[in-house]
Amino acid sequence: METFHNIGTTTDWIVMVVYFLVVMLFGSYFGRYTKSTSDFFFGGRRFSWWLITMSIVATGVGSHSFVKYSAKGFEHGISSSMTYLNDWFFVPFFMFGWLPIIVYSKVRSIPEYFEKRFSPSARFLATILLLLYMVGYIGIGFLTLGKALLPMLPEAVNVMGTAIDITLMRAIVVIAIITGIYITFGGQTAVIFTDLLQGFILLFAGFMLFFIGISYLGGFSTFWDLLPTTWKLPLAEFNKPSSFNFVGIFWQDAVAGSIGFLFMNQGLLMRFMACKSVNEGRKAAAINIMFILPLSAVVVGSAGWLGKAISVVSPDIISPNTSPDEIFVVVASIITSPGVFGFVMAALTAALMSTVDTLINATAAICVNDIYRPIVTYLKPARQEIESEKDRRELFVARLASIGITALGVLAVLAFKNFPTVYEAHGYFHSTLTPPLVVAIFMGVFWKRFTPAGVITTFLGGVLLMIIGARFPGIFIAPFDHGIEMNPARPYSYIRALYNTIVCIGVGVYVTAMGNNYNRFVDIFKSRQSGRSEMVGLTAVVGLAFALALFGNSTMNTQVLSAVFVVILVPGIVGYFVSYDEQKATEGLTSWSLDKAKIMFKGSDINDQVGEKVEVVFKQEDERENIIRFSKNDMERMSANVGDLVYLSDKRKWLGGLKSIHSTYGEIHNEDGVVYMGTRNIETGLFDKGRILIAEKEM
Amino acid sequence: MDLFTHSWLPFFYLYGMGALFFFPGLYLITKTKSLDMNKPQHRKWMKILLFGYVWFMALHVILITLALK
Repeated sequence: METFHNIGTTTDWIVMVVYFLVVMLFGSYFGRYTKSTSDFFFGGRRFSWWLITMSIVATGVGSHSFVKYSAKGFEHGISSSMTYLNDWFFVPFFMFGWLPIIVYSKVRSIPEYFEKRFSPSARFLATILLLLYMVGYIGIGFLTLGKALLPMLPEAVNVMGTAIDITLMRAIVVIAIITGIYITFGGQTAVIFTDLLQGFILLFAGFMLFFIGISYLGGFSTFWDLLPTTWKLPLAEFNKPSSFNFVGIFWQDAVAGSIGFLFMNQGLLMRFMACKSVNEGRKAAAINIMFILPLSAVVVGSAGWLGKAISVVSPDIISPNTSPDEIFVVVASIITSPGVFGFVMAALTAALMSTVDTLINATAAICVNDIYRPIVTYLKPARQEIESEKDRRELFVARLASIGITALGVLAVLAFKNFPTVYEAHGYFHSTLTPPLVVAIFMGVFWKRFTPAGVITTFLGGVLLMIIGARFPGIFIAPFDHGIEMNPARPYSYIRALYNTIVCIGVGVYVTAMGNNYNRFVDIFKSRQSGRSEMVGLTAVVGLAFALALFGNSTMNTQVLSAVFVVILVPGIVGYFVSYDEQKATEGLTSWSLDKAKIMFKGSDINDQVGEKVEVVFKQEDERENIIRFSKNDMERMSANVGDLVYLSDKRKWLGGLKSIHSTYGEIHNEDGVVYMGTRNIETGLFDKGRILIAEKEM
Repeated sequence: MDLFTHSWLPFFYLYGMGALFFFPGLYLITKTKSLDMNKPQHRKWMKILLFGYVWFMALHVILITLALK
């Protein structure tokens, strides 16, 4: 396979450096708005849908990157776009199930939901799985960045007379250091605004490359005619080859990937949580998936399509044997002039950095929220601390966590770098890590009877059955293979998602369906005097069985029996040790009780009367407990009552909600067109004196 | 050259199997009242959700037809 080095000129490098400096300055400017952990992680829950939509472009395009889709575009044609056009099936669940629940329950992370909905032990296991997922995702991001930049770098550099080879891992380490520095000092507001800028630039750069390429080939009809029919089809061949087939990718991407991306990608969720309201989050999701993703499919895949067309007409310019992961860089360097190539590469790498930044920021949020805070609470339960000091300490921990996660992300690259393409590495990763969490979230949100026993057994038993499936794919995954040939080197990279999802669902359904039997089992042990010590003994035996299946130093039958033993007994053990009140645990935390969730969010009954938006200017008054006050007439126009929630923002729409606050209606006054508020609200909202503000009732 | 397994078979599988997730999803969110059809804004969302399904199906029909032409 043909690989490249030293692509690009000095002009390109200058353009790239300037681009990065501009983007970092832009991000740092908005980083100054980071005043608390809430700002650092969620951007203060204030932004408009359009701003979030565009900022998601860089995250989405970055993670589903130019490199991997151009590679598949080069190998298989326009069917590289199919993963961008198959995300709609789970949108109803997301918009009207998961999104309102995470916003109204005020959870800061997915594991926190697991504690509220199930138990601290469920949260602990969810944290482990989610961290593995996020760090793996960061590793994929670094791998892609390294592969994108390596063709531009020389084979070696001379440092003080010593020649140092530039390897993929060394390039990644340098990239990781730059990425880590940026995110550590920026925070979510900086990331959102950097991504906003990059979202526009990415779409522009991608389409520019496409049109330059079409012109290079002599027009669209020439390009189209050069592609073989199979390259023009938007969906892949049903079940072959094993490295890229429709049905495997359907289960890996359209099902596990889409749900994983929408439901457990903490980075993406934090973007939606940064929207000013649930409805704005829905708009951002709808516009992004319906319109931006199809455009992104062209942006990320077109270099591969163009590369294929050029290789057909001029194999001497682009060899059909070019390394697929390098095709984007190769095509861009051939069809663009110096400087423009630098710009395109800068846009690509900056987008990838955005993805990685978002993920690092999100993983830091999990570390603070799901590891640091519970440990602090456990060690010093009665600790009294001033809020601002606590915030400063957590912000420091968040920044330290960002550095640690960056390092772990680099190590995660080792697990993926031997896959032939980034695409397959990502597919394998998604198929393997998403099913247990996705199934647990789904059942937790939509099935009230799903208990801690169900979720913990899904995690433990599901993971064991998945591992056994991975060890013996010819026996366990083959029945689901839809005729896909098994590649012994990487068996069932994609379709394993179907097997993994089915075993996790199977475990969850089994435990929930057998709930009453397990209750009787628990009652028997609770009624016995020696019940507790017997249960501890049983737990030790189940732990041994778990280890036996996990480490695989036994026959297949023994491993399967051990896993079944775990699945059968863990629900009883969890039922015995974990106290669970279904009424309390499901209130406001499943889609069956969203009205209750709203009431809990607001703290009083919901006022659903539709009101108008009102223009006001602010006047300062003495500090009061997070309330702002309007005139009687303005309150009537907004159909608002004292105690309702209000959203107040600068009238300039292009700010996208940057200058805004959420607050509560306080007692009324008599000056129409004026809102009274304290210094803290003015500072949090970043309001300018004399500027017109728009007030609207939130709920 | 028979391209059925490369064109319409994946198409039917995508939207057939996808429908098995999408429409029960719609049913579930309306049954749980998270999508409350009594609210005008939610009725609009229902239309958008259905439009999205048809939109992607139409995109694929057009692309497959153009490729096979």
